[in-house]
Amino acid sequence: MRIKFWGVRGSIPCPGPRTQKYGGNGACLELRFGPENRIVIIDAGTGIRELGTHLMQHDLPQGPIDADIFLSHTHWDHIMGFPYFTPIYVPGTKLRVYGPITFEDDTLEDVVGGQMKYRYFPVNVGELASDIEYLRLREDPRIDLGGGLILLTKLLNHPITALGYRFEYQGKSFCTCYDTEPFRNLFITDPEHPDYDEGMALEGEEVAGEQNQAIESFFSGADLLVHDSQYTAEEYENGKIGWGHTSIEHAIEAANRAGVKKLALFHHDPDRTDEQIDRLAEIYCESGRYGKTEVFFAREGQEIVL
Amino acid sequence: MDLDRDKQRRQIEKFIKRMPSLSTTVGKVLEVCSRTDASPNELNKVISLDPVLTGQVLKLINSAYYSLLNKITSLTRAITMLGMNTVKNMALSTAIIKTMSGAKKSKALPTSRFWQHSIGVGVSAKLLAIACDMPISQREEMFIAGLLHDLGKVPFGDEYIEVLDLAKKEQRSLIEVEREMMGIDHQEVGMMIAEKWKLNTVISSCIGDHHDATEVMEESRRQVAFVSLANTYINILDIGYAGDPFPNADDVENLLDIVGLSWQDYGAIGEDVEKEIEKAQIFLQI
Repeated sequence: MRIKFWGVRGSIPCPGPRTQKYGGNGACLELRFGPENRIVIIDAGTGIRELGTHLMQHDLPQGPIDADIFLSHTHWDHIMGFPYFTPIYVPGTKLRVYGPITFEDDTLEDVVGGQMKYRYFPVNVGELASDIEYLRLREDPRIDLGGGLILLTKLLNHPITALGYRFEYQGKSFCTCYDTEPFRNLFITDPEHPDYDEGMALEGEEVAGEQNQAIESFFSGADLLVHDSQYTAEEYENGKIGWGHTSIEHAIEAANRAGVKKLALFHHDPDRTDEQIDRLAEIYCESGRYGKTEVFFAREGQEIVL
Repeated sequence: MDLDRDKQRRQIEKFIKRMPSLSTTVGKVLEVCSRTDASPNELNKVISLDPVLTGQVLKLINSAYYSLLNKITSLTRAITMLGMNTVKNMALSTAIIKTMSGAKKSKALPTSRFWQHSIGVGVSAKLLAIACDMPISQREEMFIAGLLHDLGKVPFGDEYIEVLDLAKKEQRSLIEVEREMMGIDHQEVGMMIAEKWKLNTVISSCIGDHHDATEVMEESRRQVAFVSLANTYINILDIGYAGDPFPNADDVENLLDIVGLSWQDYGAIGEDVEKEIEKAQIFLQI
């Protein structure tokens, strides 16, 4: 299993001299499996544009492109690169786009294709030359993708339905856990408050704890975990609670508890400069300081073989 | 053929007298849901007061629409996992449909098709409001107003079949035939129910004036116009059935002026209407 980061940034692309090292493109990961070099793509942030160019140069000459694209969720920064993914314009390309939708939303095809309307983009989604199938995903303990590749999905905590993915292939496991923040007790916990209810306070606490535990079980023992870490704990506590993103500190602690082997900190805040990330890396990625998990900040262009 | 008008009116009044009041729970859910500062504790408490409603909300949350592997068995859990807004919307729609379904007994309008019409008007009114950039906080009210606009047809007895037949045979608007044959129309009856249920001015006006929207007082004219346009739209599209396949569409031009939409905007909601109805149908299966 090979993994390559084509985009590591959260919220909005942020190119420029201050983000050159870690990269300014939005979320996109390329996974390759086995001798047939099977292609799985996770998320269609702006990083997918260069991945598309790469596929055109290196894969298309071997035959039509056939790939599975898994969207963690449909927020803009995770789908905005899709219209610039060149293979969608090539006859013969076969894509299966998987992802969750919420009750209020349209179908996956409408959500992803909705950005390809003339008012936003010169090509309409109906004019694409490739063959694209859209498949809605739910929380699922086991999906057999064929060829020995198994997928598990987990509901995360984000303002819209977002899924974490766990791929298992020939004894190796790769996991994503973004965009998400720890579940927390939403109910009033102050016994002096007039609306305090002991039952709600206790159950809220219990459910939040149980869901956080379920997420850790989901990525337990992963060879590589790519986890949301948009904020520092200080930033998170000061005005970012409820925004759907995790602190670096929490991601590291959770990965350690779950026995994760390698942790890629991911979905960097667009305001986070290379210099700042390097400084944070000195604190958090130093070997052994925060447990056994090997921790690093994901960088655009970085490749990992499992 | 004229029906016995006095007898008809007496029957309607008797029916409304016996009709269930809008429960305190629904009233409170409406109140909590309309406040942006309501706490999770308040929402939880107000739904929990009604065990049946609680069960229905949980059933809905556990339906295929949510991507959940394990069943959610408590409101506290639902709010923690899915957030306040989701649970609020579920509770509101469920509460209203439940009350209405309890009241619907007429043979003249088959229940499921009547509901399809009502939901169709609800979602269209909301979509038109969205097209006009109505503030988000007021959009849900347009759905409710559309959903309830034909409430006044519920108490009519089996004699109403003759009214429906005549409107169809002579291709006339239903409300005209109601007035002619019964001396009372569904707007008037609807207002009687709205008063009993203490519905707010906007929703009451949508129930009582949706066929006279151009004459409504200014404060709710726009909202009534949305419901009126939605009603015409759904009748012409033949979605569901509420007995009015030949509505009077003369006012459409004026109504579009009131809300500030073009004919093109009006037609453009079509595709979304069908999708929204499909989603809303799930409430009917509660």
